[in-house]
Amino acid sequence: MLILKIAFRNILRQKRRSLLTGLSMAGGYILCSLSFSLIEGSYGNIIDMFTLDHTGHIQIHRDNYLRRPKIYKTINNREALETILANSEHVSSFSPRVFAPALAYAGNKTSPVRVLGVDVEQEPKTSRLAQKVQKGDYFDANPDNDGYFKAMIGQGVADILHLDIGDEIVLISQGADGSIANDIFIISAIVGNRTSYDRLGVYLPLGAAQMFLSLGSDVHEYAIIVENKDDNKTVAEILQDEMPELDVSPWQKIEETFYRTMQADKQANGFALGIIIFIVFVGVLNTVLMSVLERTREFGVLRAIGSRPLEIIKMIFLETMLLASISISIGIVLSIPLITWFTYVGLLLPEPIDMSGIEFQYMTGEFSWYVFTTPMWLIFAFSAVVSIPPGFRAAHILPRDALGSH
Amino acid sequence: MNSVIETKKLCRFFGSDETRVNALQDVSLTIEEGEFTAIIGPSGSGKTTLLHLIGGLDNPDSGIIELSGVNIADMSGAELSDFRRDHIGFIFQSYNLIPVLSAAENIEYIMLLQGVPAGERAKQVREMLHMVGLDDLGDRRPAQLSGGQQQRVAVARAMASKPDIILADEPTANLDSKTGISLLEVMRGLNQTQNMTFIFSTHDEKIMDRATRLIHLHDGKIERNERKQA
Repeated sequence: MLILKIAFRNILRQKRRSLLTGLSMAGGYILCSLSFSLIEGSYGNIIDMFTLDHTGHIQIHRDNYLRRPKIYKTINNREALETILANSEHVSSFSPRVFAPALAYAGNKTSPVRVLGVDVEQEPKTSRLAQKVQKGDYFDANPDNDGYFKAMIGQGVADILHLDIGDEIVLISQGADGSIANDIFIISAIVGNRTSYDRLGVYLPLGAAQMFLSLGSDVHEYAIIVENKDDNKTVAEILQDEMPELDVSPWQKIEETFYRTMQADKQANGFALGIIIFIVFVGVLNTVLMSVLERTREFGVLRAIGSRPLEIIKMIFLETMLLASISISIGIVLSIPLITWFTYVGLLLPEPIDMSGIEFQYMTGEFSWYVFTTPMWLIFAFSAVVSIPPGFRAAHILPRDALGSH
Repeated sequence: MNSVIETKKLCRFFGSDETRVNALQDVSLTIEEGEFTAIIGPSGSGKTTLLHLIGGLDNPDSGIIELSGVNIADMSGAELSDFRRDHIGFIFQSYNLIPVLSAAENIEYIMLLQGVPAGERAKQVREMLHMVGLDDLGDRRPAQLSGGQQQRVAVARAMASKPDIILADEPTANLDSKTGISLLEVMRGLNQTQNMTFIFSTHDEKIMDRATRLIHLHDGKIERNERKQA
């Protein structure tokens, strides 16, 4: 307790200098936490955007389907797989899907499209498909009175083929059995906009798509949403162990290019922040060294009356860490409202930013334990490091020299 | 009586070649337990150097220093720190109290280094303050005390570790005559009641008058070594 008192009073000894040093550390903390918040928030939003839009947190496929998709690479033992997924405490929801390229006709116009067969009930629990309906109604799994199934089309398809709600669309593709697949569907909704990834997509109810592509009850993909998105890699590994015959991929593998870009960007930001913190702590080092220099005689006395060198080092360490603790506390108090604003309001960008084909308009932050604790540990670590050279200097002051014996 | 300090052929030089100063040359002496010894001599005679060597604040170039039978000349830095903490009390000319600590905390600090429990420390601090006549001033910082009061705190601090000897480097030099006498009475009292060994380096005749032994140093050599009746 006495040692803590000494450290605290030594900080108050040169109030102005301690204040300036403390403010520079607090400033460093705020800068760090805000940067972490914006980086995590922005990337978190982007990740949410595509995982909840279409990829999910995890996907399951067969036989390297992700790299070389083929219509016949299907998952057929669905019952066993769905039992595993339904019983997993980590899985929040899942949805089976089928895919195929097709040629779409309407009137005298044609367009290449991508057929996406989705489970009408499960898909809205796994992706934002139902929320993306811009016009018309989200479809159901049943055919109409004339026996036609409903389809939802992307804005691009609607524009190219001049289609609207209630119009017919003809799809021609190849069935999994090698047959020619063709059928008429009735437009029930237009989804997304001209920049959406599925602007050239045609959504069909899963059963209709399976029938159209002669897939039986097979599917190409399961998209999964997990309870905690940060655990998706671990959950993917657990699921992979349970279904070794299939490929279980976290979104980091599905969107590998984006993931690598993000990691590189985070590293670059971390490096820039490291330089800023380093500059701040050169100032802190100077302050602590000055303080030691001014107290040379005092350290000589402490050594003379029996303080061990390690105790002197501990004293300097404690003073620096105490100053860092106070500065971090101030930094936390000041950064909480700032980060809260960025998290819940955000900064409207003059132009939307496009990253790997995904656009975002607001620069938003993240309010999380990580955002506040990472800079805290960073500043404590730097403080500990910069306290060592002055500590050694103070510890090795010779009492004889400090007391001016000759 | 037991000897607490014994030096044999103690030598200490500063500088080298033509700038070399022989601060101490072949100094051999024995101090007995309970002695109230003054080392006297003109400036530059080696008084402070001898005190620093005895106190383990400096290392001799040659010779032996035995404190309570232990040769401190061969000790490492950490061993010397521990030895100083447990066996030697220091009183400096310019008091050298820790400015951020109160009088009581200055006394307590050395006991903290010794690992004395908090309750025991508090009790001993009260006793020490009473012993030096500063019962009501324990909460004051050094800057709020007079020179004489600060030196009394320094005496209490030196006593706090229950050392074998107390080394005082011109303790009254910065005090007025009356305060100096008062402080000397305190130290003499401790010497007589607790059989504490004191060694002073001094020019002060008041100390010389009260000392039981005078060691005259001149140019780093013992010129005269006399015991007298207190």
